[in-house]
Amino acid sequence: MNIFLKILFVLLGLFIVLNWGLIMSGIIRKIIARVGMRRGIKVYQPYINLIKNYSLRSQLTHGVMFYLGPVFRLSGGVGIFLFMPLIYGSEYWSNFSFTGDLILIAYFMFFGMLGMALGAGEGGHPYSGIGVARGLAQFTAVEVPFTLAIIALAIQYKTLSISEIVAAQQGGIMHWTLFTNPLATIAAMLSFLGAMGHSPFNVVMAPQENPIGPPTEYHGTFLGVLQTNRAILHVVEAVLYMNLFFGGAGNWGVLILKSFLIYFWAVFVGMVFPRFRVDQSIPWLLKIPLVSGILAIVLLMIK
Amino acid sequence: MVNPIYIIAILLGSAFLIGLFQKKEKGLAGILSVLALAFAVFVSVSWFIHFTSGQQEVLQIFTGGARPPFAINLQMGLEESLFTMVINVLGLLGFIYLYRDFREEGIKGSVIFLVLMMAMNVLIMTRDIFNIFVFLEVASIATAGLLYLKKDFRSSAAGFKYLIAVGVISSFLLIGIGFFYLHSGTLNIDTYLQSNPTAVKGISMAIFLILIAIILELKPFPANGWALDVYQAAHPGISAMISSGTATASIYLLYKLLPLSSNDWTPYLIAIGLITFVGSNILGIAQKNGNRLLGYSSIGQIGFMLTILGLAPRLGEHFHFIFLSIFISHFLAKAGLFWISGIVQKQNIKEWSVLRKNSLLLFMFGFFILTLIGFPPFPSFYGKWQLIMELAQQRFFILIVAILAGSFFEGLYLFRWFGKVMKGEEEKENSLVIKWEKILPPVLFTIFAVIASYFLNNASEYGHSLNLIPIYFIILLFLLDFLPAWIKNSLVITAMVIYSVRLYPLIADDSLRLIFAGIFMLGGILTLFAGYSIKGKRAGFFPFAVMMYAGLMGLIEAENLFQFFFSWELMTLGSYILILRGKKSLIHAFNYMLFSLGGAYLIFIGIALSYFGHHSMDLNILSSSTMPGWSYSLLAIGFLTKTAALGLHIWLPGAHAEAESDVSPMVSGILLKGGVFGLILLFLLMGAEQSEQHTLLYVLGWLGALTALVGNLLAVFQEDAKRLLAYSSVGNLGYILFALAFMTNVGWLTALTYSINHFLFKTLLFLAIGGVVMRVKTHKMYEMGGLIKQMPWSFIAVLIGIITLAGIPPLAGYAGKWLFYNAVITKGWYFQGALVFFSGTIAFLYCFKLIYSIFLGQPKDKFRKVKEVPIWYIIPQAVLIIGIMIFSARPDLILKPLGNMLAQSNYFPTDPLSWENVTASTNLGYWSGYKIMLVIGVMFVILLLWLMLMSRKAQKIKQFNIVYAGERPFKPETTHFSHNMFSHYYKALGFLSLPLATGFWNGVNSVTHQVADSTRRIYTGNGQTYIIHILIYILIVYMLMF
Repeated sequence: MNIFLKILFVLLGLFIVLNWGLIMSGIIRKIIARVGMRRGIKVYQPYINLIKNYSLRSQLTHGVMFYLGPVFRLSGGVGIFLFMPLIYGSEYWSNFSFTGDLILIAYFMFFGMLGMALGAGEGGHPYSGIGVARGLAQFTAVEVPFTLAIIALAIQYKTLSISEIVAAQQGGIMHWTLFTNPLATIAAMLSFLGAMGHSPFNVVMAPQENPIGPPTEYHGTFLGVLQTNRAILHVVEAVLYMNLFFGGAGNWGVLILKSFLIYFWAVFVGMVFPRFRVDQSIPWLLKIPLVSGILAIVLLMIK
Repeated sequence: MVNPIYIIAILLGSAFLIGLFQKKEKGLAGILSVLALAFAVFVSVSWFIHFTSGQQEVLQIFTGGARPPFAINLQMGLEESLFTMVINVLGLLGFIYLYRDFREEGIKGSVIFLVLMMAMNVLIMTRDIFNIFVFLEVASIATAGLLYLKKDFRSSAAGFKYLIAVGVISSFLLIGIGFFYLHSGTLNIDTYLQSNPTAVKGISMAIFLILIAIILELKPFPANGWALDVYQAAHPGISAMISSGTATASIYLLYKLLPLSSNDWTPYLIAIGLITFVGSNILGIAQKNGNRLLGYSSIGQIGFMLTILGLAPRLGEHFHFIFLSIFISHFLAKAGLFWISGIVQKQNIKEWSVLRKNSLLLFMFGFFILTLIGFPPFPSFYGKWQLIMELAQQRFFILIVAILAGSFFEGLYLFRWFGKVMKGEEEKENSLVIKWEKILPPVLFTIFAVIASYFLNNASEYGHSLNLIPIYFIILLFLLDFLPAWIKNSLVITAMVIYSVRLYPLIADDSLRLIFAGIFMLGGILTLFAGYSIKGKRAGFFPFAVMMYAGLMGLIEAENLFQFFFSWELMTLGSYILILRGKKSLIHAFNYMLFSLGGAYLIFIGIALSYFGHHSMDLNILSSSTMPGWSYSLLAIGFLTKTAALGLHIWLPGAHAEAESDVSPMVSGILLKGGVFGLILLFLLMGAEQSEQHTLLYVLGWLGALTALVGNLLAVFQEDAKRLLAYSSVGNLGYILFALAFMTNVGWLTALTYSINHFLFKTLLFLAIGGVVMRVKTHKMYEMGGLIKQMPWSFIAVLIGIITLAGIPPLAGYAGKWLFYNAVITKGWYFQGALVFFSGTIAFLYCFKLIYSIFLGQPKDKFRKVKEVPIWYIIPQAVLIIGIMIFSARPDLILKPLGNMLAQSNYFPTDPLSWENVTASTNLGYWSGYKIMLVIGVMFVILLLWLMLMSRKAQKIKQFNIVYAGERPFKPETTHFSHNMFSHYYKALGFLSLPLATGFWNGVNSVTHQVADSTRRIYTGNGQTYIIHILIYILIVYMLMF
């Protein structure tokens, strides 16, 4: 395919994902508010926030790394998008997934995290550092069940290519990893809770002694960039899980539905359960999620 | 030729003559003594030259003009000429050393000394047993006389105990001689041997008494309390005579008398020697008095020589070489050390740090200590190697273990001493008083030791295969040590460049060796660059840096196991001294040396086990080891001490953290790869993919995974930046071990990628952090903060370093991670693999802590004016960053040929990595470093430009202008979130970081010290107890023999 056409489709996909991300976060916040017996924001509020932030006139920076932090962060989000095949069977919507496989995405997630951590760090606000330390600490434990699930998938499908994993799940709902390898799915979906940062795993952003976590010092355009990233990232992460465990998507409609449901899983749990401290969440992640991950592999090894 | 009888005549004559002198003529007495001793030297040297130049005929001297048995006869052959020569040289130098002390006492000292020398000469030459008794008595009385010269209570008491002990021993000798004459009818050794010894009845008891007496003269453990007291109390100049002189005469005596027993004694001699060697060295561990310590070492070495004597029939043609090598080392080093002790005049080894005031003395001290321990290229190394190999051939594995255990204990206390001298607390005293006559003898002995090394190297079976150019270069650097550092630095860098150019064609076909040579040489040159920032002479740095690099290169070039081990030891020694140079690294360098020494001896045993049943030293014999399980395991553990695997890692953090700023990257990024290279060689020779050592590999795999986990976890909880990096090295080396243990194509590519990466990023990080530490003068991260503004370059370097370390795409670290996943899943080591991946995520924690605490957060007032690190630190960092970028974008440049080599050389033919242009793929997945770099680069630049456009009016604000509930923070120190950053993590997983290994080794250490300390209580200091010891000893040996 022509490289320019490719780039065009990539940008188009990015545009769709960004918008869907903004709308989804609006919907989710509305739902959360309603569950809490509040009226909540308007569904298009995220757009308003974004536009407001981008157009704020006061722009303050603490230094070069502070400046680069959001760039890293957004590169991380967009990068994962770029390496992710979106629609099964479509060459147009497969982005640059030919450059690397599942492992690339798993490790590229850290790119944005690291940049953000450093940018926030230069802000000099202790809450930023506290938030990052919590986030990283929790993330190590989140990764464990996810890693085991990836290994289980690699054993099951004998590939690390996301496209091939999606291909292997075609032919009906019973071919989804959810049903062919429920234990790995359990491990991954429990780790997903941690990855998405909703309660009970939202101590990183804890609104109280630690107002909004790492981005405490960010505002204006910088915050706008971070919000843009969040919108993209949430969709892309849900797409990743969709591709790995829920049969992928044959068209944009399915993608939107499935990514919403997957994302909603984290929101749903968050609405029911209170927050963990870091030293509670880590042991929690290293119990049931870890064991189901191990069992998933053991079962495959026995076969 | 002058008849050797004149040695005796002149020495005795001079002694009598001086006796007639008045006190006033003591100057003349001194000159006469020196002349007499010089004459003795001349005679024995001329005979030695005579015999070594091809003359075979042994000279028999018949005293009184009659043949034995009617008169006593002396003999001068090659052996006698050698031993009289060394003793006379020692005598001459020993007398010069003691000259001033003797002068103060008048003429007595000279007389006694000459008599002692005469007695020793006779002991060596005589062939008559009764004559031996007589001159042993003469020697004893003369020794006691010398002891009494020093007028203090301890010395006199020691002299008295000595006389009693020797008296008891002599009476047994005399009884033995009586029985001998009764049963054999002769007192002449040769006559007896020419008769039919076995036919003589009742002789064995006589021989027992004679030999046990001579053995007791050699102070076997534990019947040697009297001797220890002598060593401790005597004037060191006299101790030198006893340790090197009397012991030499006695051991030769034993050698001469041993044929009487027609070899019945050999097993007992071996046992006595070994018990003495091991026992004496264990007791030395708890000893703090320098002279007594030398006594323990002396006794230990003599025990070792006894063992070799006992082994003589089995060692065959190699016996002389082995014995000489050990003997000459002991002889030169012990006398040298006692002489230095006399200059230092300190009891406690702690106070010996005064030696640092004089670099020549310091050098000689180190030289003699290393000679004793037997590091290459010091003389005893060659003998020990030959001995161990011969023992291995004859399946004496227990003996090998015992000998190396004894050597280890000896190394333990000698290195502790060495460390205290090099780094112990500074002595207040201004300087040492050094007289020319005190310094001349040790200087000459140092030169003799160098010469001995040269000859032993030539004489040794494998020595000729060594590449001695680096050694000569090291010696040159010692001689040029007075030059300024930058000249020496340039010299060394030039030499390394030349060496690399020379080496390249030799290994161009071998990608594996090429990679490691690249790491060693390129890394060496880069890290040396940082040294340009140091002003002054930097005395003593360059020879050892070169020694380390020469050792590392030797590993690459080694064609046989001898070369390999030689280089291994060389590398260890050089790096030890480099580490020791750090300000607070005394204990850490010591720990490093202990583990290295232990590891080296395990490697030694491993090599010996492999050598069994072979007739060459070629590296390939490892692949056909007859005891594969044992030899491979020992070799692996040996190499693992260097790569700091879990349990053997406790030396690393301190050693790497406390080393100098530019030494840390050398010993971390580069030196650790020496261990990795050892493992690689071992695994290849184990049969690579076909290896049948599944259990060993499986265990090593788990060990690697656990090492990775614990290393990384411990790094998270460090507050010291360099310690953090050091623990991170432990973790990273764990990955490498884990991946090597796979024994698959992709697994090895992973391990090699990790090795290259670890070299690149850890050298970079240590250089950057080392530079920062040099500027801010603290290792504590929480004391730093906000340094990005002062040190932007270092920040970038650390940033690149941690991105690579953490394995984040697009940099090269990701290559390792991707290969790792593929290797783990292909191999099926899922759970170990998951553990390693978990460790990988833990790495983010310390990476963040490192860069955040130092460069971000709140700047402190006291560091507002620090400068960026020197340009000499930045140049190598820039080169390393370029290296990382190239390897990140085009990993195929290195991995493709490497993969091909692994696959095509039949090491790992199954499932290789396949390359299509820049995209690598396995059966599982694919990865294109170049394209990833491109995509991410383009995207990053676009986003950056976009943000710059959007926030072009951004305004820089002050440090405390932060969102702080409307208040200003109190001060930077309380606002910088750094100390105990991961306390929550500790609460969750801290139990995994309990210092179990440290606890274990501390336990081992304290038990050893307890044993040593309580055992040495048998030496009560009471002469009667010592006599009881002697009697019981005789009784026990008797019971065992008969």
